Amino acid sequence: MLSRAARPALRAVATRPIAPNAATFATLREIEGRLKSIRNIEKITNTMKIVASTKLNRAQRAMQDSRVYGNTSNEVFKSAETKPLEGEGRKKLIVVCSSDKGLCGGVHSGLSRYIRRRALEDSNFDLVIIGEKCKAQLSRTNAQAIQLSFSGAGKDVPTFSDAQAIADQIVLLPGDYSDIEIVYNKFINATSYEPATVEAFSEEAIAASANFAAFEVDEELLGNLREYALANSLYWALCEGHACEISARRNAMDNASKNAGEMINKYQILFNRTRQAVITGELVEIITGATASEDM
Amino acid sequence: MPFAWKAAGITYNRYLTVAARAVRRSLKDDKRLVAERRGETDLRFTKWTNGKQGEPRSVVEANQAAMVEAAGGGQSA
Repeated sequence: MLSRAARPALRAVATRPIAPNAATFATLREIEGRLKSIRNIEKITNTMKIVASTKLNRAQRAMQDSRVYGNTSNEVFKSAETKPLEGEGRKKLIVVCSSDKGLCGGVHSGLSRYIRRRALEDSNFDLVIIGEKCKAQLSRTNAQAIQLSFSGAGKDVPTFSDAQAIADQIVLLPGDYSDIEIVYNKFINATSYEPATVEAFSEEAIAASANFAAFEVDEELLGNLREYALANSLYWALCEGHACEISARRNAMDNASKNAGEMINKYQILFNRTRQAVITGELVEIITGATASEDM
Repeated sequence: MPFAWKAAGITYNRYLTVAARAVRRSLKDDKRLVAERRGETDLRFTKWTNGKQGEPRSVVEANQAAMVEAAGGGQSA
């Protein structure tokens, strides 16, 4: 937003650095207007940064809780040694967890790029996309693979009922998938994140896992376990993605405010210099006029 | 089938949602208001067919409609 808005001004100033006297007044006013608009932009980015900072704490707490929750939920599959089925010709379902809002650096395009890379290697999968941003990006390249898209998920800290509603819709999909993979942004620290995946297994995969007999579960309950585990994993992915987005937005807005500050300084100096030049020019004119008329 | 809700065509997640809503509604007022905010979603979803986007629909409404349908089907069968 900032760079796009500010670029025409730079070009306008660069093309006529020293204008003749008549135009100097105009550029002075131009610079003043530009300064004002950059100040406003700085105010906006600064406010967004503050808002993101206050949200960040809550988002991070939710992320830590959900991480513990998700790991506990996956503990069952770890000790049962569940592996994704090696089904030939069966499609995978990939769930992409992004959100609706932009202005947060490369969070969304990182996910989209990951999916595109996957599509180059092996395009035998269908997509379920959460969030408008990734939907817009992936609908340009992988529109055929998209089965479902959700919006309205990333407004606040994600709730478990969000995850359940999404899981419900995914379970109701007609396709026959070997397993479900959830792609989200893994939070590494406040400045870095990377696309990561969680697996949600299908019923056959759970039933075929090595240590499954140790749990002594009825076959009938497997469907429930699978749906519940899918919701758990989705919740985990949504929370972690949300925390990444907020922290990335904080960083992006921090940088934008810093850049705006630099530009304000530059324009302030330019403004002062031009003003002085105009005054000097006027003085020279007056003095030459006065001396000329004195001589006569 | 050991579960009545399963026979009625309700998924486990939907069953949990209903149960959670009942628990939230039975809380005391001060706690209930906080808890009920956790149960709200304004998710919308869109079905895609052959690379074309369909009509966006609210997830909550669609789930309720599916539940009513499933319940009706369960009773008549």
